[in-house]
Amino acid sequence: MSATPVSVPPAAKPAADAFRLEGELPMAGAPAVPMFEIETLRAKEFLPAAREALSALIKDQSENRVIGPVFNWARRNSLFPLHWGLACCAIEFAAGFGARWDAERFGVVPRSSPRQCDLMIVNGTVTWKVAHKLITLYEQMPEPKWVIAMGNCATGGGPFRTAYSVVPGVDKLVPVDIYIAGCPPRPEAMLDGILKLEELIRERKE
Amino acid sequence: MEAADLERALRPVLGDRLLGVEPFEGTAGRVRFRREGAVDLFRTARDTLLFGHLTMVGGIDWVDHREVVYVLWSDTARQYAILSADVPADDAHIETASAVWPSANWHEREAWELVDISFDHHPDLRHLLTPDGYVFHPLLRSFKLHEPEELEVKSRHV
Repeated sequence: MSATPVSVPPAAKPAADAFRLEGELPMAGAPAVPMFEIETLRAKEFLPAAREALSALIKDQSENRVIGPVFNWARRNSLFPLHWGLACCAIEFAAGFGARWDAERFGVVPRSSPRQCDLMIVNGTVTWKVAHKLITLYEQMPEPKWVIAMGNCATGGGPFRTAYSVVPGVDKLVPVDIYIAGCPPRPEAMLDGILKLEELIRERKE
Repeated sequence: MEAADLERALRPVLGDRLLGVEPFEGTAGRVRFRREGAVDLFRTARDTLLFGHLTMVGGIDWVDHREVVYVLWSDTARQYAILSADVPADDAHIETASAVWPSANWHEREAWELVDISFDHHPDLRHLLTPDGYVFHPLLRSFKLHEPEELEVKSRHV
C-alpha cells in the first residue's frame, strides 16, 4: 500500500486491508476505510429501510396483496378443466383443444379425474338423471374451483327448457362463474369465456 | 309366414285369449291378444314359431285404454311379428316378457316409467330414464308441460 498517512488507529489497519469490500475499493491514495465503520454506516441506513419495507410487506400480506397475486397468477395460467362431455357442446369443446384453436397455449389442459381439476366446463344438456352425478363430480374437485356453463342448455335449459327431464340451467345445481351463450358456441367463444374467467381470478382476493 | 300361419299355430294354444291376427305391412302379422294369455303366447312365439329376438316393447296411450306392443324378429324366417294387448287405463298391468326374452327388461322399465304400464313379476322394475322418485309419467297424454320451477320442486331429489 501507499505510504500516505491515515487517520485510523494503527491496530485496525491490517483488518481493513485484509477485508476490503468488493466494488468499493478505494482509489489509489485514498484512505482505507475500516470494515467495521462501513458496516456501521450501512446498518444505520439499512435497518430502518428494511424495517419499513418489511412492515409494509406484512401489512400488504395481511390484505393478501403479496402472495395472493402470485398464486392467482399461477392458477389462472394453469386452469385444468374436467374432461367430460354431455352433448354437442362437447364437440366444440374438443375442437377447442385441437390444432386449430389450441387452448393449451393458455395453460388449459383437460384432465380425466375431477381430483386434478379446478375448472368444470358444463358443455351440454343436464338432465335430472345426471344431476346428482354432476354434483358428485363438482364436490370431488379440490378448492379453489370454478364452473363455466357452456352453451344455452347449461345456461338456462336451452330449447329443452320445458322438457320433463331437463335441468333449466346448471346454476340450480352448482355455482357458475361464467356463462357462454351459443348453440353450440364456437371454440373462440369458449376460449373467450376462459380468458374472462382468468380476469375474474386476477381480481380474486381471498 | 303369414297371418293365417300365425293364427293356425296360436289358436290351439291360446283359445279365446287370442283376439285375432291381421296382416300388417312388412311383418308376418299383427297378433292381438288378451293379457291373460301373455305368458303362453310369449313361450309359443319363441319356442314353436322361433321368434328368438324381442326387438322392442312399447306402450301407447289411447286415453280410454293403453296398448302394449311387442315387436319380434325371427332369424330363421327373417320376418318381424307384432304382438299387441289392450290394458285398461285404470288397471294397466301385464305379465312381464323378461322371463322369455331377457332383452325385455329395460324396455319394460322404460314403458313403466313413461307410459305407466306395470309389468308383473318383473325382476328389477326401477326408473331407467327419469330420476328415482320421479312422480310423473311424461308420455301420457294427460301430462302437461310444466313450468321449469314447478317441475324442479317436484323432481329434485338430489
